[in-house]
Amino acid sequence: MNFRARHGIRDLGVGVGFRPKHARDVIDRGGSPDVEWFEIVSENYMVPGGRPMDDLAKLHERYTVIPHGVCLSIGAVEKLDDDYLARLGKLVRALDAPYFTDHLCFCKASGLDLHDLLPIPYTKEALEHVAARIRYVQNAIERPFAIENVSSYLSYRSSQMPEWEFLAELAERADCGILFDVNNVYVSAFNHGFDAETYVDAIPAERVVQIHLAGHTDKGSYLLDTHSDHVKDDVWALYERAMRRTGAVSTLVEWDEKIPAWDVLAKEASLARAHRDAATGGPR
Amino acid sequence: MSLRDLQAMFAEALVRPQPIATNPEWSSRGDREFTGSARLSPIEQLDVYREQFWLRHVHCLEEDFPVLHALVGAEKFEAIVADYLAAHPPKHFQLRHLGDALADFLASRDDALLADLARVEWAYIDAFDAADAPPLDPTAVAAIPEDAWPKAILDLHPSLQRLRLVYSAHKMRAAWWDDKERRPIERAPRAPSCVVVYRHKFLLYTEEMEPLAFDMLDRLARGETLGAAGDALGAEVEEKIGAWFTRWAGLGWISGVRVSDDAGGS
Repeated sequence: MNFRARHGIRDLGVGVGFRPKHARDVIDRGGSPDVEWFEIVSENYMVPGGRPMDDLAKLHERYTVIPHGVCLSIGAVEKLDDDYLARLGKLVRALDAPYFTDHLCFCKASGLDLHDLLPIPYTKEALEHVAARIRYVQNAIERPFAIENVSSYLSYRSSQMPEWEFLAELAERADCGILFDVNNVYVSAFNHGFDAETYVDAIPAERVVQIHLAGHTDKGSYLLDTHSDHVKDDVWALYERAMRRTGAVSTLVEWDEKIPAWDVLAKEASLARAHRDAATGGPR
Repeated sequence: MSLRDLQAMFAEALVRPQPIATNPEWSSRGDREFTGSARLSPIEQLDVYREQFWLRHVHCLEEDFPVLHALVGAEKFEAIVADYLAAHPPKHFQLRHLGDALADFLASRDDALLADLARVEWAYIDAFDAADAPPLDPTAVAAIPEDAWPKAILDLHPSLQRLRLVYSAHKMRAAWWDDKERRPIERAPRAPSCVVVYRHKFLLYTEEMEPLAFDMLDRLARGETLGAAGDALGAEVEEKIGAWFTRWAGLGWISGVRVSDDAGGS
């Protein structure tokens, strides 16, 4: 039985990242029929109270909300932060989330929180290290975990395998899901000169619980994953290619910089639905 | 290089304020560890992350301290952030805590006006997402016998931030936020002020207080009983405490009242 079926993870349809700018549009004015679920940045809701927690409670009354972390630092060598895990577990339980997600990267080193999704070398040592940490986290939180591939701007000489092999083997060894970010594949493919379609075709489709879409920025000599624009045409094509392999899985549009009006974001979600239907042969 | 050493190297590179691409020592370290690409050398690739580290952290503090940024200008603000992060590198997973020590850092550089302004702006950050608490329940007040009030302890709303300022920086903040044209900001005069920042129904407010009332509130916030705090501040408090209590409760500053079971508390 595949990962999604084993954990009862269903297709949520198309969602968007919930941002405070859109809180009143979504909570007070009813959102949009094009947006079926929301993702939050977990750490933004690890606060005692006030407007953020009130908004989250109201959002959760109407929608499935998936917590998506940026600070787990699963690829770090530093000890996992038990206080962080306790707060994450509390959030996941409060939302009754079917799964939770974070990135294949490190954020902490030398006692510092670097607040970025920093790449790790794709070595056998790293594979064992990260797989063990994912198993630990999954046991601690008692919910399925899905790991997301990141955009990267450098690669290590010490890497022993391509990223897609590392990610597939990691998910297998840790027995976790994959949050597959096709924009990140596109960005990294450009930055490192590999073939994005090869990456998409190598991902274990049965472990993909969710797909991320976002815009990026062309900095001339590299692409930067800014989440500041519409999804690019080439990324839509990769998305359809991925969808044809995974079947209909939850899809999410991220927009974090130059955040547009709610209607623009909802329209992007509607566009995602059209591509999704084109790839899977129709609406759910 | 071990995974630990590699990540330590990354951290060391990121916190450097200056580009590392022109540094020969870093170039050779980068060549050893990173592949480079068709368009970027290994060290230029690492510098992408270093540049993002600084953009992200400067932007974060600019968002949290917009009036300080407006007062000193972008260039000086970035220099302050560089010095601040050198002294207080980020050690909390939430960026929300990045500015925790900025006011004290500015005070340590003998810049009382900037320190006061940072203190006011940070009070808004802390009040925004502080824990919630219910309004004062009148039945809890009615249940306290008259002779027990000296031993009463008030539970103040968690969002309540108490500030003793040397400059009226709260007025600078208010003027900047009120000015839709964002004209150049005027430095506040030296004018000692007692200020409270608080949240009520998800909106944030500032209230300037008379010093005696502020002293009383401050003592109560530290857990002193009404009797002990009043005794310490003199007879004038006894005349005013009833009116203060009513006003503070109306503003949502008091969320509970209970009688201390400490026999020593007067």
